[in-house]
Amino acid sequence: MPFLVAGDPSLEKFKELCVAIEPFCDILEIGIPFSDPIADGPTIQEANVRAFKAGITTTRALEGIKDIRSKTEKPIIILTYYNILIQGAQTIEESLDKTFKNLKQNGVDGILIGDLPIEEADLALKVCEKYDICLIFLIAPSTTEERLEKILKSARGFLYLIAVMGITGARSRVAQITKDTIQRMKEKTEEILPIFVGFGISSPEHASTIINAGADGIIIGSAMVNIITKNLSDFVEMKSEMVKFVSSIKNAMMALQKHNSRS
Amino acid sequence: MNYYGKYPDKLGKFGEFGGMFAPEILMPALTELTEAFNKYGVDENFSKEFYQILKDYSGRPTPLYYAGRLSENIGCKVYLKREDLNHGGAHKINNVIGQALLAKKMGKTKLVAETGAGQHGFATAIAGAYFGMPTKVFMGQIDIKRQAYNVNRMKLLGAEVIPVKSGSRTLKDAVNEGLRYWISNVHNTHYLMGSVVGPHPYPLMVREFQRVIGRETKRQILELEKRLPTAIISCIGGGSNAIGISYDFIEDKEVHLIGVEAAGEGRNTDKHSIALGKGRKGVLHGAMQFLLQNEFGNIMETYSVSAGLDYPGVGPEHCFLKTIDRLKVSDATDKEALNAFKKLSLLEGIIPALESSHALAYLIRNKDKFRKEDIVIINLSGSGSKDLDIIKKYVKDTIK
Ligand SMILES: Cc1ncc(COP(=O)(O)O)c(C=O)c1O
Repeated sequence: MPFLVAGDPSLEKFKELCVAIEPFCDILEIGIPFSDPIADGPTIQEANVRAFKAGITTTRALEGIKDIRSKTEKPIIILTYYNILIQGAQTIEESLDKTFKNLKQNGVDGILIGDLPIEEADLALKVCEKYDICLIFLIAPSTTEERLEKILKSARGFLYLIAVMGITGARSRVAQITKDTIQRMKEKTEEILPIFVGFGISSPEHASTIINAGADGIIIGSAMVNIITKNLSDFVEMKSEMVKFVSSIKNAMMALQKHNSRS
Repeated sequence: MNYYGKYPDKLGKFGEFGGMFAPEILMPALTELTEAFNKYGVDENFSKEFYQILKDYSGRPTPLYYAGRLSENIGCKVYLKREDLNHGGAHKINNVIGQALLAKKMGKTKLVAETGAGQHGFATAIAGAYFGMPTKVFMGQIDIKRQAYNVNRMKLLGAEVIPVKSGSRTLKDAVNEGLRYWISNVHNTHYLMGSVVGPHPYPLMVREFQRVIGRETKRQILELEKRLPTAIISCIGGGSNAIGISYDFIEDKEVHLIGVEAAGEGRNTDKHSIALGKGRKGVLHGAMQFLLQNEFGNIMETYSVSAGLDYPGVGPEHCFLKTIDRLKVSDATDKEALNAFKKLSLLEGIIPALESSHALAYLIRNKDKFRKEDIVIINLSGSGSKDLDIIKKYVKDTIK
């Protein structure tokens, strides 16, 4: 499952990239930019800045998502920060209602909120239920069992496991803590929700290692954005490199599936 | 008025403000910190140790000084709470000694902090040296330029100053980077937040460490005047000096509590930092608060001549105190602050921080509202030695 920031490098190009990679992914994850993304590393911060410079607003991001929705049946998940969602009306409750209604109408299936832990999620859970949108929770190597239980009671869709104790950003290898955490979390969540692992995955080898450790899926963000950053002056190359990259991941996943179903 | 002991609640809420809007990765660290603070915050030995350090090392209690010539000029009794006389030149030391002591008890070995004016960074560097804890300070590139004096002081104390190049390259971005660093290093590092902002338990914890200002002030004014003050005026950046001096007067409803934000080039321009006065509810850096933001919830760039007030948000407790009408919120422009700066220097031989000059500027502008027998206390949160470079630039064309 790939992640791109809405409006990066521009709204039109972003949409074109989404459509190009769509055949190779199971879910599309799209970031709605926020000015102060504290859980994101330099790569995704830069993507946010590029998107803002190209004129992205929450309204335009949602129009873009609506367009993409009309071209794919696959689930669309958005990732953003809480402050983006509580705008537009007098009270927080009314604002959330308005925003989530809007999200639904534009074809969003699930949402991940980077700075909304379970302790603060009551209002968001309520509107998610009302508009049938999955509220996806992050879990981390440091998440305690007590909190995991609380999260499992409310989470829907899948659990997003942060692979490392850190912020987003491509890393060169899969840490032991990642494998250990997957196994520890898997024991608790089996049969409740699938676990997708993100933060730091940058190659088909990583992806295979993580699936072999027991994860149900992977999320690739910074490595995708790096392809944009690297090819800003050549969109044709950007698109073709991105397609090549996601298809290599997809192939690795398919190979694993075949292997696993045979054994 | 029945206020004490009620705020914040267990989830860190002051009414609808505050809370713990933090990335999942930080939640266990915040819980650990809350538990540690709940334990040591009520521990008598901890309090003793804390105050002993402030006494021996920082020179507390700071004087409550009757400013005679200024009083004459204003037309009421003006007292200055001399936080500028603290070691390090500002009230910031109270908080850093408290937090670093707590961090030490928690077994943390390193400190990381954000800074705007460099006052909090400098204070953190002091605590780092005092307790032998390696210290990193994140500071916006713009602030590094305008507060070179403090940058040098931090470096002399062995702190590592890390320039922040993202966003508006000022305080809010330094908080972002500091938190990002903390996210990756929570196991051995304490994040030493510089004001009553951020996720729970910071607004509570920083307030408790800064309350020493108000406790002393209350004792001192009762000794000196045998009555409570008419008003207490403080500048508000994040709000730590303001809540520090005001908290112990909240239930004394005859005492007017006044907070002064930075109006920069004017409250009707787009170059100011009037978060309480002009902001809209939102979530930044872990807390629900009044924020300067655009219609989509993206945080705006703020401005003030004083780096320490240049922040788009404000402590959740101030938001709450404003909503319940217990805190009067006002603001002062760069120009008014600079004039106040000059006035205090000339009349009293005290060079105030540009931040504190905002509180003074409010009094100067509103002097007609006070009667001769009224007692007004200004929280002189810091010394202006750090601001001399800026003052030199403005002195010719701005000060009348
Ligand atoms: C001297 C002084 N006063 C006031 C402030 C503003 O902070 P707060 O509102 O938390 O007291 C600062 C911040 O750096 C400062 O250095």
